[in-house]
Amino acid sequence: MASVAVIGVGAVGARVARQLLSTEGVSEVVLRDGQSDRLETVARSLGEGARIDVHPYAAPLDVDVVVLAGPAGSHVDVARTFLSQSIPIVSVSDNIEDARGLLDLDVEARERGISIVVGAGMSPGLSCVLAAHAAADFDQVDEIHIAKVGTGGPACAREHHRALGGTSLDWRDGGWVERSGGSGRELCWFPDPIGAQDCYRAALSDALVLVPAFPGVVRVTARVAATRRDRLTARLPMLWPSHPEGGAGAIRVEVRGQRGSSRAISVLGAMDRPAVAAGAVAALAALWAVRGQHVRSGAAGLAELVSPGPFLAQLRDRGVRAAAFYGDAERDFS
Amino acid sequence: MKMMRRALVALGIAAAIAAVLRVRGSGGVPPQGGGWRELTDSDLS
Repeated sequence: MASVAVIGVGAVGARVARQLLSTEGVSEVVLRDGQSDRLETVARSLGEGARIDVHPYAAPLDVDVVVLAGPAGSHVDVARTFLSQSIPIVSVSDNIEDARGLLDLDVEARERGISIVVGAGMSPGLSCVLAAHAAADFDQVDEIHIAKVGTGGPACAREHHRALGGTSLDWRDGGWVERSGGSGRELCWFPDPIGAQDCYRAALSDALVLVPAFPGVVRVTARVAATRRDRLTARLPMLWPSHPEGGAGAIRVEVRGQRGSSRAISVLGAMDRPAVAAGAVAALAALWAVRGQHVRSGAAGLAELVSPGPFLAQLRDRGVRAAAFYGDAERDFS
Repeated sequence: MKMMRRALVALGIAAAIAAVLRVRGSGGVPPQGGGWRELTDSDLS
Protein backbone atom coordinates (compact mmCIF):
# COMPACT_ATOMS: atom_id res chain seq x y z
CA MET A 1 0.00 0.00 0.00
CA ALA A 2 1.38 3.40 -0.98
CA SER A 3 1.42 6.71 0.80
CA VAL A 4 1.35 9.81 -1.42
CA ALA A 5 1.84 13.47 -0.55
CA VAL A 6 0.10 16.27 -2.44
CA ILE A 7 1.72 19.66 -1.89
CA GLY A 8 -0.83 22.34 -2.74
CA VAL A 9 -4.55 21.54 -2.75
CA GLY A 10 -5.93 24.08 -5.19
CA ALA A 11 -8.12 23.11 -8.12
CA VAL A 12 -5.56 20.63 -9.50
CA GLY A 13 -4.11 19.37 -6.21
CA ALA A 14 -7.53 18.54 -4.78
CA ARG A 15 -8.35 16.50 -7.87
CA VAL A 16 -5.00 14.70 -7.73
CA ALA A 17 -5.76 13.74 -4.13
CA ARG A 18 -9.24 12.52 -5.01
CA GLN A 19 -7.97 10.46 -7.93
CA LEU A 20 -5.29 8.87 -5.75
CA LEU A 21 -7.63 8.04 -2.87
CA SER A 22 -10.03 6.34 -5.25
CA THR A 23 -7.24 4.05 -6.46
CA GLU A 24 -6.70 0.62 -4.99
CA GLY A 25 -3.24 0.41 -3.53
CA VAL A 26 -3.13 3.93 -2.10
CA SER A 27 -3.59 3.85 1.65
CA GLU A 28 -3.04 7.48 2.53
CA VAL A 29 -2.80 10.90 0.92
CA VAL A 30 -0.94 13.52 2.94
CA LEU A 31 -2.08 17.08 2.18
CA ARG A 32 -0.09 20.26 2.55
CA ASP A 33 -1.11 23.78 1.68
CA GLY A 34 -0.34 27.31 2.85
CA GLN A 35 -4.05 28.03 3.40
CA SER A 36 -5.31 26.10 6.40
CA ASP A 37 -9.01 26.68 5.71
CA ARG A 38 -8.70 25.30 2.19
CA LEU A 39 -6.67 22.39 3.54
CA GLU A 40 -9.41 21.50 6.02
CA THR A 41 -12.17 21.83 3.43
CA VAL A 42 -10.39 19.54 0.98
CA ALA A 43 -9.46 16.97 3.66
CA ARG A 44 -13.05 16.89 4.89
CA SER A 45 -14.39 16.38 1.38
CA LEU A 46 -11.91 13.55 0.72
CA GLY A 47 -12.81 11.71 3.90
CA GLU A 48 -10.97 8.68 5.17
CA GLY A 49 -7.42 8.33 3.93
CA ALA A 50 -6.68 12.05 3.76
CA ARG A 51 -4.29 13.40 6.39
CA ILE A 52 -3.42 17.06 6.93
CA ASP A 53 0.23 17.99 7.43
CA VAL A 54 0.79 21.53 8.68
CA HIS A 55 4.54 21.74 8.05
CA PRO A 56 6.03 24.05 5.37
CA TYR A 57 6.03 22.87 1.77
CA ALA A 58 9.71 21.93 1.80
CA ALA A 59 9.72 19.99 5.08
CA PRO A 60 10.68 16.30 4.72
CA LEU A 61 7.99 13.60 4.57
CA ASP A 62 7.85 9.85 4.87
CA VAL A 63 5.88 8.94 1.73
CA ASP A 64 6.36 6.91 -1.43
CA VAL A 65 5.87 9.74 -3.94
CA VAL A 66 5.23 13.47 -3.82
CA VAL A 67 2.99 15.45 -6.18
CA LEU A 68 3.86 19.15 -6.37
CA ALA A 69 0.70 21.13 -7.15
CA GLY A 70 1.59 24.36 -5.38
CA PRO A 71 2.07 27.85 -6.82
CA ALA A 72 4.22 28.19 -9.94
CA GLY A 73 7.77 29.23 -9.13
CA SER A 74 7.92 27.21 -5.89
CA HIS A 75 8.49 23.69 -7.22
CA VAL A 76 12.28 23.52 -7.52
CA ASP A 77 13.17 24.28 -3.90
CA VAL A 78 10.52 21.89 -2.64
CA ALA A 79 11.65 19.20 -5.07
CA ARG A 80 15.23 19.40 -3.77
CA THR A 81 14.05 18.34 -0.30
CA PHE A 82 12.32 15.22 -1.57
CA LEU A 83 15.10 14.46 -4.05
CA SER A 84 17.53 14.36 -1.10
CA GLN A 85 15.20 11.77 0.46
CA SER A 86 15.16 9.79 -2.85
CA ILE A 87 11.38 10.17 -3.14
CA PRO A 88 9.97 10.28 -6.70
CA ILE A 89 8.44 13.63 -7.60
CA VAL A 90 5.65 14.65 -9.94
CA SER A 91 5.31 18.36 -10.71
CA VAL A 92 2.21 19.79 -12.41
CA SER A 93 3.77 23.21 -13.02
CA ASP A 94 3.83 24.61 -16.56
CA ASN A 95 6.07 27.51 -15.53
CA ILE A 96 9.27 27.81 -17.57
CA GLU A 97 11.53 28.49 -14.58
CA ASP A 98 10.10 25.51 -12.68
CA ALA A 99 10.64 23.28 -15.71
CA ARG A 100 14.23 24.44 -16.20
CA GLY A 101 15.07 24.05 -12.51
CA LEU A 102 13.53 20.58 -12.29
CA LEU A 103 15.26 19.40 -15.47
CA ASP A 104 18.55 20.53 -13.95
CA LEU A 105 18.00 17.92 -11.22
CA ASP A 106 18.26 15.13 -13.82
CA VAL A 107 21.78 13.99 -12.98
CA GLU A 108 21.14 13.64 -9.25
CA ALA A 109 17.76 11.97 -9.86
CA ARG A 110 19.42 9.36 -12.11
CA GLU A 111 22.15 8.75 -9.52
CA ARG A 112 19.46 8.15 -6.90
CA GLY A 113 17.43 5.98 -9.25
CA ILE A 114 14.24 8.01 -8.96
CA SER A 115 12.13 9.89 -11.48
CA ILE A 116 11.07 13.53 -11.47
CA VAL A 117 8.14 14.12 -13.79
CA VAL A 118 8.35 17.66 -15.16
CA GLY A 119 5.05 19.13 -16.34
CA ALA A 120 2.46 16.50 -15.42
CA GLY A 121 -0.65 18.50 -16.19
CA MET A 122 -2.76 18.93 -19.28
CA SER A 123 -0.12 20.85 -21.22
CA PRO A 124 2.63 19.98 -20.71
CA GLY A 125 1.70 16.51 -19.53
CA LEU A 126 -1.11 14.97 -21.55
CA SER A 127 0.22 16.88 -24.56
CA CYS A 128 3.61 15.15 -24.15
CA VAL A 129 2.01 11.72 -23.96
CA LEU A 130 -0.05 12.44 -27.08
CA ALA A 131 3.06 13.65 -28.92
CA ALA A 132 4.88 10.43 -27.98
CA HIS A 133 1.89 8.35 -29.08
CA ALA A 134 1.65 10.11 -32.44
CA ALA A 135 5.42 9.91 -32.93
CA ALA A 136 5.33 6.11 -32.71
CA ASP A 137 3.93 6.03 -36.28
CA PHE A 138 6.75 8.14 -37.70
CA ASP A 139 10.24 7.15 -38.79
CA GLN A 140 11.47 10.64 -37.95
CA VAL A 141 9.63 13.46 -36.18
CA ASP A 142 10.54 16.88 -37.54
CA GLU A 143 7.98 19.19 -35.94
CA ILE A 144 5.70 19.23 -32.91
CA HIS A 145 3.18 22.01 -32.41
CA ILE A 146 1.14 22.24 -29.22
CA ALA A 147 -1.89 24.45 -28.69
CA LYS A 148 -4.05 24.68 -25.60
CA VAL A 149 -7.18 26.46 -24.50
CA GLY A 150 -8.70 26.92 -21.07
CA THR A 151 -7.35 27.12 -17.56
CA GLY A 152 -7.82 25.18 -14.34
CA GLY A 153 -8.36 27.12 -11.14
CA PRO A 154 -7.28 30.67 -10.19
CA ALA A 155 -3.57 29.81 -9.93
CA CYS A 156 -3.63 28.37 -13.44
CA ALA A 157 -5.45 31.46 -14.72
CA ARG A 158 -2.81 33.71 -13.14
CA GLU A 159 -0.04 31.69 -14.75
CA HIS A 160 -1.83 31.87 -18.11
CA HIS A 161 -2.08 35.65 -17.72
CA ARG A 162 1.63 35.92 -16.84
CA ALA A 163 2.62 33.66 -19.71
CA LEU A 164 0.82 35.81 -22.29
CA GLY A 165 2.77 38.82 -21.08
CA GLY A 166 6.08 36.95 -20.96
CA THR A 167 8.55 35.62 -23.52
CA SER A 168 7.83 32.48 -25.49
CA LEU A 169 10.42 29.75 -25.93
CA ASP A 170 10.30 27.83 -29.22
CA TRP A 171 12.77 25.29 -30.60
CA ARG A 172 13.77 26.09 -34.16
CA ASP A 173 16.49 24.59 -36.33
CA GLY A 174 18.56 23.35 -33.40
CA GLY A 175 18.32 26.39 -31.18
CA TRP A 176 16.03 28.22 -28.81
CA VAL A 177 14.13 31.22 -30.15
CA GLU A 178 12.51 33.75 -27.84
CA ARG A 179 9.63 35.92 -28.97
CA SER A 180 7.12 38.17 -27.25
CA GLY A 181 4.11 36.51 -25.72
CA GLY A 182 0.90 37.47 -27.47
CA SER A 183 2.51 37.39 -30.91
CA GLY A 184 2.20 34.85 -33.72
CA ARG A 185 -1.56 34.52 -34.08
CA GLU A 186 -2.63 31.15 -35.46
CA LEU A 187 -6.12 29.71 -35.81
CA CYS A 188 -6.10 26.25 -34.19
CA TRP A 189 -8.85 23.64 -34.33
CA PHE A 190 -9.54 21.84 -31.07
CA PRO A 191 -11.79 18.84 -30.43
CA ASP A 192 -15.50 19.58 -30.39
CA PRO A 193 -17.23 21.47 -28.90
CA ILE A 194 -14.31 23.86 -28.41
CA GLY A 195 -13.68 24.23 -32.15
CA ALA A 196 -11.50 26.98 -33.61
CA GLN A 197 -9.61 29.38 -31.36
CA ASP A 198 -7.04 32.09 -32.06
CA CYS A 199 -3.82 31.01 -30.36
CA TYR A 200 -0.69 32.99 -29.57
CA ARG A 201 2.83 32.48 -28.33
CA ALA A 202 3.29 32.61 -24.55
CA ALA A 203 5.87 31.72 -21.90
CA LEU A 204 5.07 27.99 -21.96
CA SER A 205 7.36 25.14 -20.95
CA ASP A 206 6.18 22.49 -23.44
CA ALA A 207 9.20 22.81 -25.73
CA LEU A 208 11.61 22.34 -22.80
CA VAL A 209 10.27 18.87 -22.04
CA LEU A 210 9.55 17.81 -25.64
CA VAL A 211 12.88 18.61 -27.31
CA PRO A 212 14.93 16.07 -25.28
CA ALA A 213 12.28 13.41 -25.95
CA PHE A 214 12.53 13.64 -29.74
CA PRO A 215 16.14 13.66 -30.94
CA GLY A 216 16.47 15.36 -34.29
CA VAL A 217 13.27 17.36 -33.99
CA VAL A 218 13.62 20.60 -35.93
CA ARG A 219 10.75 22.69 -34.58
CA VAL A 220 8.73 22.63 -31.37
CA THR A 221 6.25 25.38 -30.62
CA ALA A 222 3.52 25.95 -28.07
CA ARG A 223 0.63 28.36 -28.18
CA VAL A 224 -2.27 29.25 -25.96
CA ALA A 225 -5.72 30.47 -26.89
CA ALA A 226 -6.46 34.05 -25.95
CA THR A 227 -8.93 36.79 -26.70
CA ARG A 228 -7.97 40.29 -27.81
CA ARG A 229 -8.81 41.45 -24.30
CA ASP A 230 -6.42 38.85 -22.79
CA ARG A 231 -3.62 40.07 -25.01
CA LEU A 232 -4.26 43.76 -24.33
CA THR A 233 -4.24 43.28 -20.55
CA ALA A 234 -1.51 40.61 -20.38
CA ARG A 235 1.11 43.04 -19.12
CA LEU A 236 -1.18 44.49 -16.46
CA PRO A 237 -2.13 42.85 -13.15
CA MET A 238 -5.17 40.59 -13.42
CA LEU A 239 -8.10 42.98 -13.27
CA TRP A 240 -10.85 40.54 -12.29
CA PRO A 241 -11.00 37.22 -10.40
CA SER A 242 -11.03 34.02 -12.43
CA HIS A 243 -13.51 31.18 -12.23
CA PRO A 244 -12.69 28.97 -9.20
CA GLU A 245 -12.96 25.76 -11.24
CA GLY A 246 -12.15 26.91 -14.77
CA GLY A 247 -14.32 26.07 -17.76
CA ALA A 248 -13.94 23.55 -20.56
CA GLY A 249 -10.51 23.34 -22.13
CA ALA A 250 -8.66 21.37 -24.77
CA ILE A 251 -5.29 20.60 -26.23
CA ARG A 252 -4.16 19.97 -29.79
CA VAL A 253 -0.93 18.18 -30.65
CA GLU A 254 0.29 18.27 -34.24
CA VAL A 255 3.22 16.04 -35.18
CA ARG A 256 4.91 16.24 -38.59
CA GLY A 257 7.63 14.09 -39.96
CA GLN A 258 8.74 11.32 -42.23
CA ARG A 259 6.77 8.10 -42.67
CA GLY A 260 8.47 5.81 -45.16
CA SER A 261 9.23 7.85 -48.26
CA SER A 262 6.62 10.52 -47.66
CA ARG A 263 5.94 13.37 -45.29
CA ALA A 264 2.97 13.01 -42.98
CA ILE A 265 1.03 14.87 -40.32
CA SER A 266 -0.82 13.48 -37.34
CA VAL A 267 -3.10 15.54 -35.11
CA LEU A 268 -4.25 14.35 -31.69
CA GLY A 269 -6.19 16.19 -29.03
CA ALA A 270 -8.24 16.02 -25.88
CA MET A 271 -11.13 18.03 -24.47
CA ASP A 272 -11.82 18.27 -20.74
CA ARG A 273 -11.78 20.70 -17.85
CA PRO A 274 -8.05 21.42 -17.48
CA ALA A 275 -8.01 20.91 -13.70
CA VAL A 276 -9.76 17.55 -14.06
CA ALA A 277 -7.43 16.34 -16.81
CA ALA A 278 -4.34 17.63 -15.01
CA GLY A 279 -5.43 15.90 -11.80
CA ALA A 280 -5.84 12.58 -13.58
CA VAL A 281 -2.52 12.87 -15.42
CA ALA A 282 -0.57 13.80 -12.28
CA ALA A 283 -2.23 11.09 -10.19
CA LEU A 284 -1.51 8.43 -12.81
CA ALA A 285 2.10 9.62 -13.19
CA ALA A 286 2.50 9.33 -9.40
CA LEU A 287 1.04 5.81 -9.36
CA TRP A 288 3.35 4.72 -12.17
CA ALA A 289 6.29 6.12 -10.18
CA VAL A 290 5.28 4.11 -7.10
CA ARG A 291 4.85 0.93 -9.17
CA GLY A 292 8.21 1.39 -10.88
CA GLN A 293 6.59 1.70 -14.32
CA HIS A 294 8.48 4.76 -15.51
CA VAL A 295 10.70 3.93 -18.45
CA ARG A 296 13.76 5.41 -16.81
CA SER A 297 14.91 7.44 -13.84
CA GLY A 298 15.87 11.09 -13.98
CA ALA A 299 14.05 14.36 -14.58
CA ALA A 300 12.02 14.54 -17.78
CA GLY A 301 8.59 15.07 -19.24
CA LEU A 302 6.04 12.32 -19.66
CA ALA A 303 7.03 11.78 -23.30
CA GLU A 304 10.30 10.24 -22.03
CA LEU A 305 9.04 8.56 -18.87
CA VAL A 306 5.91 6.59 -19.80
CA SER A 307 4.73 4.21 -22.52
CA PRO A 308 2.08 6.38 -24.18
CA GLY A 309 -0.43 3.71 -25.26
CA PRO A 310 -0.94 2.09 -21.83
CA PHE A 311 -0.83 5.48 -20.13
CA LEU A 312 -3.57 6.86 -22.40
CA ALA A 313 -5.61 3.69 -21.89
CA GLN A 314 -5.49 4.10 -18.13
CA LEU A 315 -6.29 7.80 -18.45
CA ARG A 316 -9.34 6.85 -20.48
CA ASP A 317 -10.44 4.62 -17.60
CA ARG A 318 -10.23 7.74 -15.42
CA GLY A 319 -12.46 9.68 -17.79
CA VAL A 320 -9.85 11.60 -19.81
CA ARG A 321 -10.27 10.69 -23.46
CA ALA A 322 -7.96 11.49 -26.32
CA ALA A 323 -9.04 11.92 -29.92
CA ALA A 324 -7.49 11.95 -33.36
CA PHE A 325 -8.30 14.42 -36.10
CA TYR A 326 -9.26 12.80 -39.38
CA GLY A 327 -9.45 14.80 -42.53
CA ASP A 328 -7.12 16.75 -44.77
CA ALA A 329 -4.45 17.05 -42.05
CA GLU A 330 -4.10 13.29 -41.67
CA ARG A 331 -2.72 12.23 -45.02
CA ASP A 332 0.61 11.47 -46.68
CA PHE A 333 2.14 14.24 -48.70
CA SER A 334 3.67 11.84 -51.24
CA MET B 1 -12.26 76.51 -36.66
CA LYS B 2 -15.59 75.24 -35.44
CA MET B 3 -15.82 72.85 -38.39
CA MET B 4 -12.33 71.60 -37.66
CA ARG B 5 -13.26 70.90 -34.04
CA ARG B 6 -16.42 69.08 -35.08
CA ALA B 7 -14.48 67.00 -37.58
CA LEU B 8 -11.89 66.06 -34.96
CA VAL B 9 -14.59 65.11 -32.45
CA ALA B 10 -16.32 62.97 -35.07
CA LEU B 11 -13.02 61.27 -35.94
CA GLY B 12 -12.29 60.66 -32.28
CA ILE B 13 -15.71 59.10 -31.68
CA ALA B 14 -15.31 56.93 -34.77
CA ALA B 15 -11.86 55.80 -33.61
CA ALA B 16 -13.21 54.93 -30.15
CA ILE B 17 -16.06 52.90 -31.62
CA ALA B 18 -13.65 51.13 -33.96
CA ALA B 19 -11.34 50.29 -31.04
CA VAL B 20 -14.21 48.85 -29.02
CA LEU B 21 -15.41 46.77 -31.97
CA ARG B 22 -11.88 45.52 -32.63
CA VAL B 23 -11.42 44.47 -29.02
CA ARG B 24 -14.84 42.87 -28.71
CA GLY B 25 -15.32 41.61 -32.26
CA SER B 26 -15.25 37.89 -32.93
CA GLY B 27 -13.56 37.93 -36.34
CA GLY B 28 -15.60 35.08 -37.77
CA VAL B 29 -14.54 31.45 -38.29
CA PRO B 30 -13.75 29.83 -41.65
CA PRO B 31 -15.20 26.36 -42.42
CA GLN B 32 -13.08 23.26 -41.85
CA GLY B 33 -13.05 19.77 -43.31
CA GLY B 34 -12.80 16.56 -41.29
CA GLY B 35 -13.53 15.94 -37.63
CA TRP B 36 -12.40 14.22 -34.46
CA ARG B 37 -12.78 10.58 -33.41
CA GLU B 38 -11.99 9.15 -30.01
CA LEU B 39 -8.92 6.91 -29.74
CA THR B 40 -10.00 3.28 -29.35
CA ASP B 41 -8.38 0.23 -27.74
CA SER B 42 -6.73 -0.71 -31.03
CA ASP B 43 -5.24 2.80 -31.31
CA LEU B 44 -3.79 2.55 -27.80
CA SER B 45 -2.43 -0.97 -27.90
